[in-house]
Amino acid sequence: MNLALQLRRGLSAEIYKFKGTLAFWPLIIAPAFIPFINFMILWRKGDSLIQPGTNAWDALLNLSINPGNFLFPFFLIMLALLVNNIEYNANTWKQIYSQSLSRTAVYLSKVKAFLLMTFISLFLFASFTLLVGFLLRYISPDLGFEEGLNLGLFYAFYLKMFLTVLGMASIQFWISQQSKNLILPLGIGIAGVISVIILIQGWKYTKYHPYGYHIFGNSGFQEEGFEIWGSMDPVYYSVGLAIIVFILAGVQQVKRRIM
Amino acid sequence: MDQPIIKITDLDFYFKDFKALDGVNLNVPKGSIYGFLGPNGAGKTTTIRILLDLFRPSSGQVEVFGKPISQDRDNILGKVGALIENPSIYKHLTGRQNLEVIRRMTSTSKSRIDEVLEIVRLKDNADKKAKNYSLGMCQRLGLASALLTDPELLILDEPTNGLDPSGIIEMRELIQELNKNHGKTIFLSSHMLSEIEKLVTDVAIIDQGKILYEGKLKGLQDGNNSNELTIELDNVEAASTVIKNLNFTVSSINNNSIILAIQSREEIAKINKALVGNGIEVYQLKAEDENLESIFLNITNRLDQ
Repeated sequence: MNLALQLRRGLSAEIYKFKGTLAFWPLIIAPAFIPFINFMILWRKGDSLIQPGTNAWDALLNLSINPGNFLFPFFLIMLALLVNNIEYNANTWKQIYSQSLSRTAVYLSKVKAFLLMTFISLFLFASFTLLVGFLLRYISPDLGFEEGLNLGLFYAFYLKMFLTVLGMASIQFWISQQSKNLILPLGIGIAGVISVIILIQGWKYTKYHPYGYHIFGNSGFQEEGFEIWGSMDPVYYSVGLAIIVFILAGVQQVKRRIM
Repeated sequence: MDQPIIKITDLDFYFKDFKALDGVNLNVPKGSIYGFLGPNGAGKTTTIRILLDLFRPSSGQVEVFGKPISQDRDNILGKVGALIENPSIYKHLTGRQNLEVIRRMTSTSKSRIDEVLEIVRLKDNADKKAKNYSLGMCQRLGLASALLTDPELLILDEPTNGLDPSGIIEMRELIQELNKNHGKTIFLSSHMLSEIEKLVTDVAIIDQGKILYEGKLKGLQDGNNSNELTIELDNVEAASTVIKNLNFTVSSINNNSIILAIQSREEIAKINKALVGNGIEVYQLKAEDENLESIFLNITNRLDQ
């Protein structure tokens, strides 16, 4: 049986098992969190936040990207824990690895489910943010949401965010795959995020820090002449790291003793 | 003779420096209920994990359906259903949804879920969340997952573990039914010897990673003349010292009695004489027919060593 078919089966089972778990609702609700707060702020205080003559959509993007930069890594840490811990909790590693699917297929199904959930939550984040703009267009027409929307650029931001968090996502996935332990992946993840926030103040090598690629990826977007695909280094670092880590984690999973 | 369904040859397995399996050889005939007996920690679950390719052997060959597991893994596992130690159950899903997860992995037909629920008598509770299941129900759900792909070979690791007496009887009936009516070969591990005795056709005994006996259940009984002697007396501790000094193996000690394995009637007289000679009051000497339990203790010989 070929790998593609095995992968389809594995992914279908992988998605199904999250039915009714805590994963499903946070996947939708968490991406709505920042947009909801932004909506409240702009609805009540929009006129003081958006100067006349500036682009309202840029202001909204600014209000979304900055908290997103900070909060999204935490969401990823939890997601990586969840997709792996569900098997530790249910004692099911031995079950999923003793079916007629190859170990590679079972592993890749899990990676695929994880990446899919990451992608969907970012897509929802973008869509909810758009929705906020459209709502404000009717509720507060003075704010200027009638014009200035570049839809392609808007989604490109979130696509770039997806690509630039892959590096840290792969690290969290690998650590969470190691053991039932919840504290270790959480600790490493939080240390990763916090250290970037501190180092970014002035250390020149911070751009190589895997937990900060996404911050470098979208920095300076309000400056004149910003191009979304202008600086590609963070994307290359992140995707490169993710490929290496996912391969290593896969080799380990294919070889390891399943308890 | 038919080719065995499972053929294990000279299997060794190490956990770091600890040799968990030492030259294990097994031949499981088609259509048998094969009992794999041993005390806790003897290597039963390790052997089973190797059979399912969860562990890779340090050396030796493992063939299932006539093919090495290392070469034809996916096909072999498609024809094997397994229940290993504590059952693998997603507690947040219902029994039916748990089966659906496996069904999707194996692309079995949807109707099969109802069939297996029927077989393990779990249909009425299929739509309850598994976190509300009793241990017996969890065990039956585990068996249902193992049966889902309609496998030729069922590997059950301690299937009666933790069940109450009625649960044990129910599981035993289920296993017998699967063997007789559904034609499954069943490889069954246990440390509960009284259970397996009524169930199995073939047996292997493992202790400290070594196979001590393999063959028909009947052969095990014939080859062993050991009887079980129960002695009721007043001073258990003094008596056990006396008995050990005579080079007998005490298999269990209670408040007022000692149980040990003996080979002949003369030995009863010898023990009695020694006990009385040491000032111990003997109230009753009761020799019982051999059973698998005492044979097993005799072979593995571990309880008081």
